[in-house]
Formats: sequence, C-alpha cells, structure tokens
Amino acid sequence: MVEGVMTRFLSLPLLFALLAFPSAVFAHRDDQYLQATLVAVEPSAVRLQINLIPGIAVAEQVLAVIDRDGDGLISTSEAAAYAESLKRDLTVRLDRRNLELKLTASEFVEPGELRTGSGIIQMEFSAILGPLAAGAHRLTLENRHLSTISVYLINAARPTSRAVQITKQKRNDNQSAGEIEFTLHPLR
Amino acid sequence: MKKAIGVFLILFFGVGLNSFAQTNSTSGTSTAAIVAAAEKFLGALDDAQRGKLVFDFKDDAQRRRWSNLPTPIFKRTGLRMGDLTKPQRDAALAVLEAALSPQGYAKVLQIIDADEILKNSSGETMFGRDQYFISFLGPPSIAESWMIQFGGHHLGLNITLVGERRTLAPSHTGAQPAIYELEGKTVRPLGRESDRAFALLSSLNEGQRKQAILSFQIRDLVLGPGRDGQTIQPEGIKGSGLSEKQGQMLLDLASEWTGIMPEAVAKAKMDEMKKNIAETWFAWSGPTEKGRAAYFRIQGPTVIIEYAPQRLGGDPTKHIHTIYRDPTNDYGVKWWKGS
Repeated sequence: MVEGVMTRFLSLPLLFALLAFPSAVFAHRDDQYLQATLVAVEPSAVRLQINLIPGIAVAEQVLAVIDRDGDGLISTSEAAAYAESLKRDLTVRLDRRNLELKLTASEFVEPGELRTGSGIIQMEFSAILGPLAAGAHRLTLENRHLSTISVYLINAARPTSRAVQITKQKRNDNQSAGEIEFTLHPLR
Repeated sequence: MKKAIGVFLILFFGVGLNSFAQTNSTSGTSTAAIVAAAEKFLGALDDAQRGKLVFDFKDDAQRRRWSNLPTPIFKRTGLRMGDLTKPQRDAALAVLEAALSPQGYAKVLQIIDADEILKNSSGETMFGRDQYFISFLGPPSIAESWMIQFGGHHLGLNITLVGERRTLAPSHTGAQPAIYELEGKTVRPLGRESDRAFALLSSLNEGQRKQAILSFQIRDLVLGPGRDGQTIQPEGIKGSGLSEKQGQMLLDLASEWTGIMPEAVAKAKMDEMKKNIAETWFAWSGPTEKGRAAYFRIQGPTVIIEYAPQRLGGDPTKHIHTIYRDPTNDYGVKWWKGS
C-alpha cells in the first residue's frame, strides 16, 4: 500500500533545516540558451556538432524564431530555415580562409519538449577542407546566434585520425569564439 | 537570524534522521551481496512493479535515460520512490547501499536530502526524495551483465555489473543547495571535491598555474548527461608536469568519484588511473580563491571528471553539477559488447 510518503519523510530536523536555507533559486538553466559545439577536425573535413538547449524562460523566444507560422509545429521547411539562420550566424575559417558549411544532419524535438527546458536541438555542419598541406593550421569559429540570451561552449573533439594533432585551443571569455591550432601529419 | 534560529532548533531537538530509511550498514563488496539485495527488493514488489522495474539489458534507450534535470522536466522510467511503500523503499535503498561504498551511499543520501530541502524552500513538487527512480537493466546476476540505475534531480547513477567487474561510469552527481544545515551539522554533499581541488590548485607553482588555468568561462559540463560517446581534446596541465605529491593529490581528488563505489572496485579504478597519471590532465576555469565558484576537469585515458558550478542567478557555490565518465568503458561496454 502506498502511504503518505511526503508526510513521513519530512522529519523535524529537515523542517528546521529549511529555516536555515534561504529561498531557492530554480535548479536548472531557465533563462539561457546553451549552445555547445564540438569541433571534429579530420584530415579532409571539419564537422561541427552543435547541441542547442533553450531554458524554460527563453524557450518561447527560441521557438518564435523556429516556428515562424506559429502553428505549434516545427515543419521540415521551418527546421531547414532555422538551420540556415544558425549557419549564417557561424563563421568558420581555416588559415584565414572562410569555409563553406553544409548542414549534414539535424534533429528537432517537439516544441512541447523544448518548452520543458530539457529538449535538445542537434545540428551537424561540415566543411570540406580540400587538399591540405602537411604542417600547422589554424581553425577559427565564431558563433553569433541569438547572442543576447546564449551561453556557449566550444571544444575540439579528440581527433579520431592519427594524422591530426590538436596543438592548442583558445577561446574568448564567453566561448562564443574559439581557435584551434592543429598539425596535419602525412600518413604513410 | 533565520539561520541561527534554525541551527538552534536543530541542536535542541536533534532527533531522528532525515534520510529515506535507516538500513543496516553493509558496504557490499561482492556482486553476490548486491544480487542478494536486488532479489530481496524484487521479492518485495508485485508483478506490475517488477515489470516496471526491470528492462532488457540491451535496452539502450533506457540505458541513456538519465539527466541532471528534475523528473517532471526529464521523463524517467522505472519505479518512482514516492510510489513505493516504506518496506519497498527500504529494500530499494538497500540495493544502493550494497552497491556503493559507505561514503558513496552517504553522498547519495545527502544529495537527495538537498533536493528535499530545495522542494520545501521553493514549494516546487518537482523536487524532493519522492521524485527519484530506480530501474534494473537485465535481471540481477552474479555472472551475467546487468545494470542498476538510480536517479532524479542532480543524480544519475549508472552501475554496470559484469560478474565481479563493476563500473559507475557514466554517472552524474550534483547538489542544490550544495551546503545546508541538518541535525546541527553543516552538510556539503560535494564539499570534499571542492576542497581537494582547491588544495591541488594552491600546490601549483606559477608556471604550473599558467598551464592549468584556462582563460575563459566554462558555464556548464562539457560532457554531461546526453553526451555519451563524445571525447574532447584535453587541456590544462598534464600529469607529467606535476610533482609526485601533486599527482597523488590529483588522484585523491578523483577518488571522490571513484570512491562512490566499494573499495575493491574503487581500488582497481585508481590503480588504472595511477598507471596513467602522466597522461592525465587537470584544468581549471574561474576564480582561484578558496571557496569561490570554479570549474575544474580531470581527463585521462580512462577517466573524465568535470565539476561545474551553475551560474543561474543564485550563488553558484551552492549549485553544483558534476560528471564522471570512462571514455573507454562507459556502461562497461568493453566487458559485454559483442558478447
């Protein structure tokens, strides 16, 4: 038989402990749009895996950008348009040369899930590097997407190819921009 | 003033314990002991409850169903603690007590207590000890692969057992409030993690600190829940650049996570980490004054640990998220995949 667990659980010391703890701040990221980018450098391509997580308080703001007709659904064309708008807000350069990003994968959760603050939009962009000389290279990434409500993470993925060696990473203070230095080794 | 009154009342009335249940203290060092506790729990349930508790071991969706978020926001499955009777709940907790070290079990209860305090101070019923879930993947077995999941807000324990081999990776611990008064004592569920990290940082000389301290903010876990299979390029200071004493301090810090598991399991993991200490990195982001909210990361060939204070409008020292992973063996895959 299920009992009134709450009543039994709340012991006297715990009640008193509540007096000692000031009013709680909500325990999850509710007013920020987390944009976490993992940058995979390969010998012939760069892939950006971006996880986008709007907090509850900004979910409607983000959804307004995605669900343009406001019908409560994210259509294929709206998803594509949002991916395009994100792409426009990204600048990726290799050795000062702009790279052209192509959307290679995307996954949108239902608007209802985004509104909970736990929904994740996943996008993957890639850029072909073309023939790349062996030696040192510098990749830079800047993310300007919805900057007034966003927090950013940028990290280089550990290379899966032995031909690529990450030598240094730099970011600006809020990680909206980053730089990855790497060396390309010729594989025998 | 309010705090002083609270402490006085706790001291004056210092009765009873807050936790879910009082169970016998057994550290549970063998898989057989954990299986026995799990079978006792199964025996306390009816058929419908058993059906909700036990998933197929190959159910990858369930395996990955864990989060730092509160339950109503992140939908969990299995058995909800608030839906169990007291004997059933005690039996569920006895499984955890058997599967964890005494200090690991205590840490888990402190995290849950923090969430109960959060519930009562915020009035939000999404928090609190009723909102934790337990599930098994596969039936409990001494020889076959199976898994225990226990989680809710700020807690995601994923314990995979393959015979006597066991791993906690990947698992999430967190706390809000990360410091509170209970029964006349100050409780810091993740306090030693912070203390040991600051001790290690303060042991570094200027040249070492230049390597270890990153120049940018890290606002959240990089490889938190939902980031299975991702591995990042390590940063900070490499273990080969630490003195022997500092290397031991790094291992002591990591033991706050590995030590959640029973001694024999923790020792095997620490031996592995010790062997790889030269290839293990320590990185820091944020203020360096002791007690301030700072992020740190330990990353080696077989371990990733992150500690991330949450800057969400409140005091970030009171709201912590951490993650523990093994990039080579999350969920014990190297022991069972392909079998």
